[in-house]
Amino acid sequence: MKGPMLRALSGAAALSMALAAAPLLAEGPTDADLMNDAASTGDVLTYGMGPQAHRFSTLKAIDSTNVSKLVPAFAASLGGEKQRGQEAQPIVYDGTIYVTGSYSRVFAFDARTGEEKWQYDARLPDGIMPCCDVVNRGAAIYGDKIIFATLDARLVALNRNTGKVVWNKQIADYKEGYSATAAPLIVKGMVITGNSGGEFGVVGAVEARDVNTGELIWHRPVIEGHMGTLRGKDNGITGKLNASWQGDLWKTGGGATWLGGTYDPETNLLFFGTGNPAPWNSHLRPGDNLYTSSTLAIDPETGVIKWHYQTTPHDGWDFDGVNEFIPFDATINGKAMKLGAKADRNGYFFVLDRTNGKFISANKFVMQTTWADGYNKNGKPNVIPAGRPPAPGEGKGKPVFSSPSFLGGKNWMPMAYSQDTGLFYIPSNDWGMDIWNEPIAYKKGAAYLGAGFTIKPIAEDHIGALRAMDPKTGKIVWEYKNKAPLWGGVLTTGGNLVFTGTPEGYLKAFDAKTGQELWKFQTGSGVVGSPVTWEQDGEQYVAVMSGWGGAVPLWGGEVAKSFKDINQGGALWVFKLPK
Amino acid sequence: MIARRSLLGGVGAAIALGMLPGMTHGAPLAKVKALGAIRIVVYQNNRPWSWEEGGKLVGLDVDMAHAIAEKLGVRADIAQLVADESADDDLRNGVWKGGLLGFSPGDLMLHVPFDRGFAARNDQVAIIAPYYRESFALAGKGGAVDLEGMPTEWRGRKLAAELDSIPDFYLIGSFGGVLAKDVTHFMSGSEAVSAVTEGKADAVLASRAQIEEVLHRAGDNAQGVKLRKRPLPAFASPGWDIGMAVKENSRTLGDAVEEIVTAMAASGQMKALFTRYGVDWVPAQAAG
Repeated sequence: MKGPMLRALSGAAALSMALAAAPLLAEGPTDADLMNDAASTGDVLTYGMGPQAHRFSTLKAIDSTNVSKLVPAFAASLGGEKQRGQEAQPIVYDGTIYVTGSYSRVFAFDARTGEEKWQYDARLPDGIMPCCDVVNRGAAIYGDKIIFATLDARLVALNRNTGKVVWNKQIADYKEGYSATAAPLIVKGMVITGNSGGEFGVVGAVEARDVNTGELIWHRPVIEGHMGTLRGKDNGITGKLNASWQGDLWKTGGGATWLGGTYDPETNLLFFGTGNPAPWNSHLRPGDNLYTSSTLAIDPETGVIKWHYQTTPHDGWDFDGVNEFIPFDATINGKAMKLGAKADRNGYFFVLDRTNGKFISANKFVMQTTWADGYNKNGKPNVIPAGRPPAPGEGKGKPVFSSPSFLGGKNWMPMAYSQDTGLFYIPSNDWGMDIWNEPIAYKKGAAYLGAGFTIKPIAEDHIGALRAMDPKTGKIVWEYKNKAPLWGGVLTTGGNLVFTGTPEGYLKAFDAKTGQELWKFQTGSGVVGSPVTWEQDGEQYVAVMSGWGGAVPLWGGEVAKSFKDINQGGALWVFKLPK
Repeated sequence: MIARRSLLGGVGAAIALGMLPGMTHGAPLAKVKALGAIRIVVYQNNRPWSWEEGGKLVGLDVDMAHAIAEKLGVRADIAQLVADESADDDLRNGVWKGGLLGFSPGDLMLHVPFDRGFAARNDQVAIIAPYYRESFALAGKGGAVDLEGMPTEWRGRKLAAELDSIPDFYLIGSFGGVLAKDVTHFMSGSEAVSAVTEGKADAVLASRAQIEEVLHRAGDNAQGVKLRKRPLPAFASPGWDIGMAVKENSRTLGDAVEEIVTAMAASGQMKALFTRYGVDWVPAQAAG
C-alpha cells in the first residue's frame, strides 16, 4: 500500500505545482484577446484580423501620403525544395511572426530580425490527393498554442515557444479523400473547422473541438439528412431528409466547407460557406441540393444551423459557396441594420441581414455572368437555362461557354472591408470557360463520362481585377486591373490604403478611396498570401507571404500565358517606413 | 518491335500510341535488371484488380505484376497509387512525373486504358500491352428483376451502382430519370455487386470483372445471380481495352513487357491467372 500511496501523493504535489505554474505556461492570447483582435493594433491574432474578418486595421502611420517610401525590413525564406503556393496569412504576437507554409509546415520568425525560432514539418503520407495544390492558409493562436490543419486532414496544436506538438488529432480520413487547408477559427475555447475534399463521397461538415485537448465537442454535417452530434449524442438532422435531393445522393452530397468561417460576437453566430454539390453533373441530382453552395449561420454552443442562404441553387458550374461572409453594419433605406456580405464564386456580391439570413441585395462584381441574369427580390437567381453545362452524352463535343469559369469570380482569396470608407475590396477575376462532354474519358482505369474544359480570358487587358464595392448601392467605385489572375488576400487600413499581392510578384498599395496605385515592391515570386499590418516598437509594419502556386497554375490554356514566366518561391516579407 | 506491331494491328496504331519504330533506348530495361527490381504501379482499392485483404495486396493486376517481374528475372516493387480525378492525371502521378507529395513514378503502370484518343493526349507515356477487354454488365437475382427486360420495368426495385460511374449515370439519368430514386450508391463496383449477393439489392450494373469476382467469392450467396445477355438500350460504353504504360523513353522496357504479356496470353498463363479470381479472361480487342 505504501508505494502507490506515495506515488499518489507525489502525483498530487506535482499537480498542484503544475496548477501554480499554469498561468505562466499557458500565457498567451485569451478568448477575449481574440475577440478584440480588430481593435488591438500591436498584434495579429486571428485569420482575418478579427473574428469578423474585416482585414481592416486602424493604424495610420503608413498612409496614402507616405506609403511610396515603404521599404523591406527583412525577408525570411521557408527554405527547402518545397517552394510553391504560399497562401498563408501571418499571425503576429509577442515579438514573433507565425506563418504556415505549403506542405503543412509552420514557422516561427523573430518579428524584429526575421531569424527563425523554430520550424515544424508535418509528416505527410504520399497517398494524399489535394485537389488544388499543397497550400495552407494560416494558423490560429490561443494561449501557449499555435494550431493549424494539415493536408492529411489533421489538426495539430504546437507549443508556440518551442514548436513541439501538444496534441495532434485526425479530423477526417485522408484515404476517403478528405484534406484540410483553411486556417482554424477559435471561439469560446473551441477550435472551429470545416473540411475539404474535392472527391466524390465527401460530405461537408463544421466541427468544434476543445482547444486544449482537441476532443470533439460538436459535429454538424451541412447536407440535409445527416445527423449532427453534440458531446457524443445525436443533436438533430440537418435540414429535412430528401427535401431537395433525390434517392440516396444526399449521403455523398458534397458541400465541403473547405475555406473555414467567420464569427460575429454581436449575434453570436458562426458563418460558414459550403461547397458545390456532388456529383458534378447537375442533371443527375434534380433539386436545390441543400445546403450546398450556401452560407450557413451556426450556433457556436451547439452546432445547430440557425439560418441558411443558398447563393447558387442546384449548382452545375462548380461555383461553390465557400466564400467568407463578413459581418458589417450599415444603414439601408434609412434603417440601421446588422448585415453581412459575401463575394461569391458565381460572380455576385451578396448582402444579407445577418440576424436572420434575409436577402437584401445581389450585385455583379465581375464583367460577365452567363449562368444568371441577376437575382429577384426573393433572393433567387434568374437562371439562364442555356448557360448550364449539358448532361454527359448530350450535344457531344459541342462546347458551352460559361462565365465566370469554375475558378470563380472570386476564389478563396479573402476580401477586406474598410470601416472608414464603407467599401469592400474584392480580389476578383474576369474569365470564362468552354466546357464540353469528353467522349473518351477514364477514371481509375475505367471508362467515364467526363467533361473537358478550357479556361480563357474574356478581356484583352486583364484577368485579375481588384474592385471596390459599395455594399449599399451595389456599385463598383473603382477597379484596378491586373494582367494575371489575382489570387491573394486584401488588407485595408486607417491610412486610406488597400494592399494586395499579384502573381507577377508585387505587393501593391492603393488609395482606398480612388484606387490609385501608390506603391509596389517585387518580392521575387508570385504573391498569393494575405497581407497583415501591426505596430511594433512604435512603428507600423506590413507583412505578406510570397510564393507562387495554388490552383491557378494547375490549369493551362490561354490563361497560362499570363503567368508562364513566374517562378516558384517561399518567403515572408516584412516592410516598414525608413526612420 | 515485331511483337508490338502485331499486337496493335499495324504501324499506324503504333505511331498513334506514341511508339515510334526504330527508336531504341537501352537504358530503362538495363537499369531495372541492374537494380534487380521493377517498380510497378497499381491502383489502390481497385478490386478485383488490386486491393488489400487481410493486410495483403492481392488482385489480378498484382498477380500480373509479379508474373512480369518474375519473367524479367527481377523483384516486383509494387506501389499503390491513389486515383486522381482522371486517368490522365494518374499517368502524370504514376508514370512520368510523380505525385505532388513525393509519390515516385513507377517503371511500369498497370490498368491503363488502351485507347488511341487517350494515348494521343498523353504523349509523355507509351501505352503498351493491352491485356483485357473491360465492359459493363448487369447482374441480378432471377425473379426479382426481369434481367432481359426494359430498364423502365425495374422501377421500384433496388438497383446498385458505384457512385459517379457510367452505370450510375445510366441508371439515374436515362429514361427521363425514372429509376433515379431506386439507385443505391456504393463507393466501388465490387461493393455494389456484394449488395446483390447479400440480398440488399435486386440488381447491379458494374464491370464484368467486378461482378464475376464477387460472385466467385460469394459461394452459395451467388446462387441464382445471373448476367443480362442482351445489350442495354442506349448504353454509353461498348467496353474498353486495358493495357500498361511506361515512360515515353522507356521503349526497351516496354518491348520486353509486351513480349512477356504476349507470351502469357499465348501459353494460357493469362487465362489461368484470371481464372483464380473467377474472372473469364477476355482478350483486348486491340490484341486480337
